[in-house]
Amino acid sequence: MSNALNHIRESAWRTFEVDGLPSSRDEDWKYTDLSRIAAVLGESWWSAEAGEAVSADDYLIPDLNAYRLVISNGVVDLAASEIPDAITITPLAALLQDDPDAAVELMLDDSDAPFASGVTALNSARASDGYCICVASNVKLDRPLHILHLSSGGAAHIRTGITIGNHAELEIIEHFAGSDSAAGVTNSLTAIRLAAGAKCEHYRLQLESGKQWHLGRVEVNQKADSSYTLHAVELGSALSRVDVVDDLNEPGAESELNGLFVLSGRQHVDHHTRVAHEAPHCRSRENYRTVLDGRSHAVFNGKVVVAKGAIKTDSAQSNANLLLSNRAEIDTKPELEIYNDDVKCAHGATVGQLDKNQLFYLKSRGLSEEEAKQLLTFAFADELLAKMKSRAVRRYIERAAFAKLPNLSGLEGILV
Amino acid sequence: MIKIENLHVSVGGKEILKGINLEIGDGEVHAIMGPNGSGKSTLSNVIAGRDGYEVTQGSITYKGKDLLEMRPEERAWEGIFLAFQYPVEIPGVNNTYLLKAGVNARRKHQGEQELDAMEFMQLVKEKAKLVELDQSFLSRGVNEGFSGGEKKRNEIFQMAVLEPSLALLDETDSGLDIDALRIVAKGVNTLRAANRSIVMVTHYQRLLDYIKPDVVHVLADGQILKSGDASLALELEERGYDWVRAEAHV
Ligand SMILES: Nc1ncnc2c1ncn2[C@@H]1O[C@H](COP(=O)(O)OP(=O)(O)OP(=O)(O)O)[C@@H](O)[C@H]1O
Ligand SMILES: [Mg+2]
Repeated sequence: MSNALNHIRESAWRTFEVDGLPSSRDEDWKYTDLSRIAAVLGESWWSAEAGEAVSADDYLIPDLNAYRLVISNGVVDLAASEIPDAITITPLAALLQDDPDAAVELMLDDSDAPFASGVTALNSARASDGYCICVASNVKLDRPLHILHLSSGGAAHIRTGITIGNHAELEIIEHFAGSDSAAGVTNSLTAIRLAAGAKCEHYRLQLESGKQWHLGRVEVNQKADSSYTLHAVELGSALSRVDVVDDLNEPGAESELNGLFVLSGRQHVDHHTRVAHEAPHCRSRENYRTVLDGRSHAVFNGKVVVAKGAIKTDSAQSNANLLLSNRAEIDTKPELEIYNDDVKCAHGATVGQLDKNQLFYLKSRGLSEEEAKQLLTFAFADELLAKMKSRAVRRYIERAAFAKLPNLSGLEGILV
Repeated sequence: MIKIENLHVSVGGKEILKGINLEIGDGEVHAIMGPNGSGKSTLSNVIAGRDGYEVTQGSITYKGKDLLEMRPEERAWEGIFLAFQYPVEIPGVNNTYLLKAGVNARRKHQGEQELDAMEFMQLVKEKAKLVELDQSFLSRGVNEGFSGGEKKRNEIFQMAVLEPSLALLDETDSGLDIDALRIVAKGVNTLRAANRSIVMVTHYQRLLDYIKPDVVHVLADGQILKSGDASLALELEERGYDWVRAEAHV
């Protein structure tokens, strides 16, 4: 391992040792308590052992015609992958040999970055593996890339660096899943750089086992006229915290962040997003929806920051939440920080229950109370899924979410 | 078919229906007319089972059973259908699949085989033709973005597919253009049958030119003040409601 990389890791580890995990005293972690992680996973939870590895074949998305990169318990598994020729995918070990500077850049720990914490420091310090994806200018991959993160418990600290060149296009499906044979933690950090005119459609599907804690971070850096779309879906895991940091650094950049949580039992999911308009004429859209049953708890904190020079900013954000149980809980906080007058910004959050008129209408047509409730719930969630261009992914998520709402099994196909 | 006796209904503590007596035989078509706010929709909603209404006195017997004991979906399974005065938009829920779920829930309840996708589509196509509903409406969200008249036509389409025993049409004629009114009326007439009763709530005698009722009732002040044959509607059109009230309260 290169000295520079060793240095990064050691210094990140010192940061972690000094700062520890974020606590509820930290404003950004007010609602999400990681302190129990040691009680659940053991004292040295960051290096917890995985159970027996699972097979990628059991976690494929039906009808998805895609290239595949498999990350098994935090380590790139090229043998199980199908890598396209048109782009390069380089695991950390190969990077260290061929391009040590790139390896260092990939693994850097920036403790000044928004939402940086002991979690991100650990990702550098204890990285189980990392890899870079590089899409050269003007390349448009003919199929999406399915990045399948499989866990069978244990700790996986995985680092992903994606560079998309001028006017290149990439569709990725980051998919987190696995077995519940052992408890574990996933700590995933994905940094995406979009050059001028580049496009990225990013599905981030969190369907981990109920014994897996999920910690994620997505960093996006956008140049002129680039376009980034995120579909963040939260269905699995006992506790999930994901931070999204999107910087619109040059004029004409566009971003769309869509988030859907469907939670039950005692699931806890917290997303903090920060969209920074640093340049004029950029556009951002953010739509988060949550469906909360049982004693689940969701946190949405969406911040939009518009810099002084970012005139003609066009930004809209909305967060709608549906509580199916009076023991479920949502904490939502849209935040706007605007440093110039020439902008168009809108944001809003709603918390609601199902519409009584719609419920009665469905029942009067012969649906049972439970079916009617779940159908309306699902229709609410599905409006977000409708934004997905990939039919295969959409159907897959619909099924998985349907499965969490037990009375809908006979109603497949009822959604528009 | 249905027998309503001394029905008193309150909403939020205020009495709206004050002793309704109404009996509708198999295959009969009844029209209910009356001033705004007199309780026509309240009556329809109570029959269909909407909550928020308190029945303080009286009874409704439907096909020999106590209707008020049944949940709304059970009433649907037993053949009650309400065409809403204000049809509800349900974005994201497919118009046709909703009907399929409804039809099959009812068939299941009655111990019949559920329709498969092919049989159902055939039924839907046939009924859409009957009310001249464009195929494109079938795949849209329930009433989503439909115009006022399209919503009403969709209600009649749903009725045609669900083939109820007792259909309550709450102002289905309001908001329809002249051609649509004729089409809807044709649809309703086609559905007239010896084992199907129809109640039409309307403000306009015009509808009754197309669908000739057996009985016309005047519902005012929470009571049925007068009943008569089709000619009563003509008289109401000419003279309004005050004379009925005057006659009833002497
Ligand atoms: N949920 C409610 N809360 C309070 N008042 C109600 C409610 N529903 C109905 N009412 C009142 O009950 C009365 C009867 O209403 P209803 O809708 O049955 O009248 P209608 O005869 O159908 O009138 P229209 O011809 O205008 O459709 C009205 O005064 C109405 O305001
Ligand atoms: Mg009415």
